[in-house]
Amino acid sequence: MAQVNDVLEASDEAVRAAVRSALLTVDDPEYPGLSIVDLGLVELVKTQGSNVTVGLIPTFSGCPALAMIASDVKLAVELCDEVQSCTVEWLPAPVWSTGRLSEAGETRLADNFTVVLRRKDGTLRCPVCGSDAVTDQSMAGPTRCRSVAWCGSCRNPIEVMR
Amino acid sequence: MRTWSDLEQFEAFLEDGGMVEPNDDMPDEYRQEVFRFIEFHANSEMMGGLTERDWIPKAPGLRLKQIFLSKTQDEIGHAHLLYMVAADMGVKSRTEILEDLFDGRSRFHNVFHYKAVTWADQIAIAFLVDAAAFASQRAVFAECTYGPYKRVLKRIVSEEGFHMRHGEEMVLRLTQGTTTQRKMFQEALDRWWWPSVQLFGPDSPPNDNLLRWKIKSERNEVLRHAFVQKYVPLLRGYGFEIPDDDLRFEDGQWLTGEIDWEPLKATMRNGGPDSRRRIETAATNWSDTAWVRQSLDAALTRRSAA
Repeated sequence: MAQVNDVLEASDEAVRAAVRSALLTVDDPEYPGLSIVDLGLVELVKTQGSNVTVGLIPTFSGCPALAMIASDVKLAVELCDEVQSCTVEWLPAPVWSTGRLSEAGETRLADNFTVVLRRKDGTLRCPVCGSDAVTDQSMAGPTRCRSVAWCGSCRNPIEVMR
Repeated sequence: MRTWSDLEQFEAFLEDGGMVEPNDDMPDEYRQEVFRFIEFHANSEMMGGLTERDWIPKAPGLRLKQIFLSKTQDEIGHAHLLYMVAADMGVKSRTEILEDLFDGRSRFHNVFHYKAVTWADQIAIAFLVDAAAFASQRAVFAECTYGPYKRVLKRIVSEEGFHMRHGEEMVLRLTQGTTTQRKMFQEALDRWWWPSVQLFGPDSPPNDNLLRWKIKSERNEVLRHAFVQKYVPLLRGYGFEIPDDDLRFEDGQWLTGEIDWEPLKATMRNGGPDSRRRIETAATNWSDTAWVRQSLDAALTRRSAA
């Protein structure tokens, strides 16, 4: 495949490393400061020389941010010196689950957005005061990926990733 | 629970950057003022969401339908969270808040008292109204001494920022469109420019409790001025005309002609051009869904009896 002059000749490994760090700069549009990597959206990175394919999986297939995330990814990856072109694909499988969130992502959601994950036993911990007195309120919240709960101890609405 | 011996001590606490929490024994004046503010915000999200819902079937193309569907869920979801915070303050119950809204006894943002005539209006709303609302919410979030409201605002502001990107994208598409499409947008702009500017409200009174208690962080006129500085050049840059004959550029800034506040006052009395229809639609929506609430209540009663 022909190389364009301004693209660095780089090993596959170097290209992948550059792509990985570029992906860390792409935030979910609804959670500024939370990268799509921490959110667990990145499933695979394939390289063929300096041409890159990034495979993403959506939290929910009806998510309104998909086109925006794809164009943000393309832009960030193509800014890498090692990359000539980037194709973004939304993969039908695997299915996203909250288990894909990184620990850093989970902490950021709790601290910055008052959004928590459900524990394995189904209970919830309030990200504001740490109490267990959190009860579910409604299945639907402002977005498809969250439900709404209420902390009876510090009296704050809490959102739950689902 | 924290208590303050008097208003002066409470204000010193706020001045020091203190944050009020629901379990605190806050002064009643503060509680009432914050409640009214959140109620107004929640009602605006609710009425805004219902307006956007009307356009889901009319949105051209699946992608835009998906966006409007999600925006509707966002706004109603924001209202839901805000109503939880407001009702918890003990001034009115959630049902009382909603019934006051649907009976026309409450206020909500001026921009939801006008008719959206064409699809281009919806784009002008996404571009201008959402931006104005975003700017004013961000200014509330910047200080906001009431903890639960600030936490909800954090998510609302993030999501509204995302809506703005959709608005920009839709305007860019239309500006690159046909002459008819550009004309449609100009007509929509003629309808929505002034309501968007007026959304910020008249100049803040000299002794504004909302500012003193750091619910708001910025005076209305400052936010309005910043909005004009950003959107006049942007819209002119896209080749559109601002419907203001007295608009001028002086000493490096854009100044609007004199603002007629009568239309805003009319909307605050629910006497805007489309107020009645909008409130009636919302009220019908509320009564049509009563059976859902009754069924849920009945199920809950049965479950607790078992």
